[in-house]
Amino acid sequence: MNNNSIPPTPASPKPVAPVSEHTAGFSGYFPTWCPGCGNFGIWQALKMTFNKMKFDPDRLSIVFGIGCSGNMNDFLWANSFHALHGRAIPNAIGIKIANHDLPVVVIVGDGDCYGEGGNHFLHAARGNHDITVIVHDNRVYGLTTGQVAPTASQGFKSKSTPQGIIEVPVNPIALAVSQGATFVAQGFSGDMNQLVELIEKGVAHKGFSLVNIFQPCVTFNQINSYNWYRDRIYKLTSENHNPRDLNSAWQKSQEVTEKIPLGVVYDVDRPTYTDSLPQLSGKPLLDSALNIDLAQFINDFV
Amino acid sequence: MIDITVKIGGEAGFGIMTTGLLLGKIATRSGYHAFEYSEYPSLIRGGHNVIEVRISDEKVYSQQKQVDILLCLNLETFNKHASEVKEGGIIVYDTEKIPESKLNKPDVNLTYVHVPFVSILQEHKLSTVMLNNIALGALMHLLGADLNILNAAIVENFARKNQEIIDKNILAAKLGYEKTQKEMPQGYKLKLPKLKNIIPRLYISGNEMIGLASIAAGCRFYAAYPMTPTSALLHYLASQAQNCGMVVKHAEDEISVINMALGASFAGVRSMIGTSGGGFALMVESVSLAGITETPIVIVMGQRPGPATGMPTWTEQGDLLFVLHAGHGEFPKILLAPGDVEEAYKLTITAFNLAEIYQTPVFIIGDKYLQEGHQSVEKSIIEGYKFKIDRGKLLSQEELSKLTEYKRYLITKDGISPRAIPGMKGSLHQANSYTHGEDGHTSEEADVRIKQVEKRNKKAQTFLMNDFQMPVLYGNRQTPLTLISWGSVKAPILQAMSKFKDKFNYLHFSYLWPLDKIKIKNLLASPKKTLLVENNSHAQLGQLLTMVTGIEFPEKLLKYSGRPLYPEEILDKIDSMSS
Repeated sequence: MNNNSIPPTPASPKPVAPVSEHTAGFSGYFPTWCPGCGNFGIWQALKMTFNKMKFDPDRLSIVFGIGCSGNMNDFLWANSFHALHGRAIPNAIGIKIANHDLPVVVIVGDGDCYGEGGNHFLHAARGNHDITVIVHDNRVYGLTTGQVAPTASQGFKSKSTPQGIIEVPVNPIALAVSQGATFVAQGFSGDMNQLVELIEKGVAHKGFSLVNIFQPCVTFNQINSYNWYRDRIYKLTSENHNPRDLNSAWQKSQEVTEKIPLGVVYDVDRPTYTDSLPQLSGKPLLDSALNIDLAQFINDFV
Repeated sequence: MIDITVKIGGEAGFGIMTTGLLLGKIATRSGYHAFEYSEYPSLIRGGHNVIEVRISDEKVYSQQKQVDILLCLNLETFNKHASEVKEGGIIVYDTEKIPESKLNKPDVNLTYVHVPFVSILQEHKLSTVMLNNIALGALMHLLGADLNILNAAIVENFARKNQEIIDKNILAAKLGYEKTQKEMPQGYKLKLPKLKNIIPRLYISGNEMIGLASIAAGCRFYAAYPMTPTSALLHYLASQAQNCGMVVKHAEDEISVINMALGASFAGVRSMIGTSGGGFALMVESVSLAGITETPIVIVMGQRPGPATGMPTWTEQGDLLFVLHAGHGEFPKILLAPGDVEEAYKLTITAFNLAEIYQTPVFIIGDKYLQEGHQSVEKSIIEGYKFKIDRGKLLSQEELSKLTEYKRYLITKDGISPRAIPGMKGSLHQANSYTHGEDGHTSEEADVRIKQVEKRNKKAQTFLMNDFQMPVLYGNRQTPLTLISWGSVKAPILQAMSKFKDKFNYLHFSYLWPLDKIKIKNLLASPKKTLLVENNSHAQLGQLLTMVTGIEFPEKLLKYSGRPLYPEEILDKIDSMSS
């Protein structure tokens, strides 16, 4: 129940995005985001990742949420479903269950994923559904012109919280780690090379993967700017962190103010939801025959 | 004609429902028609449960008010229901557990049969859960049925348990049978005679029938969040999922339920969801999403009395107009309401075809009365029902490859666009919740908007031309009175009609939306006198028909106590109109 004030209408009827060897095949209309928006970095990183992974746009399914990030539906071409606000994750789970051979990526914002759709996020992590959730975390609502997001720092003043927000922010990394996600990473839209690496690892991971991406909103959030992040971020390495260790991951998840870690926070193996269904062991659900012998089912009622 | 109603009552948690189910099943196997109706509170233990099974050698459509045999497993059953037992009937109870001093015996000639259920259990060291088999054994004797049929049913029912448990249950039934045999006076008349021609029938609930039909229709994904009266559909399909290759998902909430199903359907599998009014209220935003993304989905909406939590385990038809108007914005949807298990089978299969042909949500509107009650139906009707799985304009890879350009929301004459599945070569498209152009991209241009609105609206016209079914008229066309109703009210109306064939006829609506305005108006103009019968207080079908045709329904029989209509009440109303 998000409404737009900034029209999402594509300006041009033809794809005009620069077609390079890194982004070919996935480019749609040129984005309508504000100049300097952190979404540009994520958009480029996604296209570069999909090309690097040699994905075919026909055989990649992307579910977009509603928000500035979701408007990427017109700028990034794949077989996509543009969901309702908050509901992209269950759509993605349905797609994956129907055809577990398709890579399924979810593009959502912080309000969409941690606010309106928060319940779905928890349960998708628990179920280890093999989808990759890319969250654009800018701590503010952009498309509805500047209200507070669930990730906003306490005290953040916005149109909906002119006296400052009373609640403490959601901790996406801690939430995902604690609820059974098997791959949890954090990136920054100012570092595209690392983003490509994190998104690739997330998509390649078998199971539920979250890539939470800090993405400055240059229009509605003057506090959490590119420089604000650059002053705080540092990279996780094999020296300072073991992503297969829950305690270490939990510790890193608590670093949210002074020092903020970027990289793979948690990465473990657990059977995925579809791998745990004997019905899907042979072939995707989509390919199973529709006509079955009813006699055995009818006879149960005689 | 044989027409016996057996009512069994006791505390929740003592297997009353299983007793009733097995009794109906045994009667069906013995060649009789059976119809089951139960009343129980929203509790797991304690509270008062009753189940009644009507058994006849002629077709039975519904329950009736009068009871022939009342089996009381507690005092409450005796005192609440003894007055329903008709002259010459039988009441079975445990004299050791139910003291005579507390009984309110009615002032008619009844036979009282004393079966000491509790002391039989104690004497033979049987557990309390086996009490229902003593009761069944007693009923087998009272009905003159063959104990072996019950024994076979017990073996089936406990197939997964060890032999000792099976033996103990069979012993319990035998003890109940023998004790009753000793107690009963010779020569009483209620017995069910052995039938010569036993027609094979199913004994099945509405929920199970919808589930069976979804298997037949090639449903590959069912999602639900438990909610009475549709939970049993989830249980049935979950139990059969691996046998039929379906994925059944109990999701975290109803919003997730419908969105998972839309995702699965977008990716190409036939998908169904089930809920009741409260859960459906949560789904409503996504019904609209199905409408604009043109994603097929079958939604089973089992009604129960609202508002809010209402009376969870009781029945009502209070959500017709809610479902009709569910979803913001304008888009076509199709509403079907089965009146009995046979219709539930056929309409569910039809629903899957219509959802894919029209690429829009299709509803199966049921209620507690239809979905939870068991009815017997000829096996040959179900086995012999011929249908095709019609996936509408779903493209094959071959068809898709021939296209020079694929447009998901192509403007067409019938309003329906070719549909490709993600993963096919050349299928690139988006299903978009925003207003979009033919290629699926977001657009706010006026002409694009108008064309897509008209395209979606056109689907309703195409449906009316190709697939709409007029209401069915039951009974003699010449009778002076026409009853009008929908869904499960069909049961008590046809039951009433079976006794008084020339009093009235009945116009049964099972295709509820879209409605053909002109045809329905002409049809409703012909009866001299009508009586609208509904299981709600707002006369919702009446409102809908008035909205479409302008015709009003001055005479109404509306029931909204949470109980279904009884044939007796319908006949009383008809009598009061003519006097």
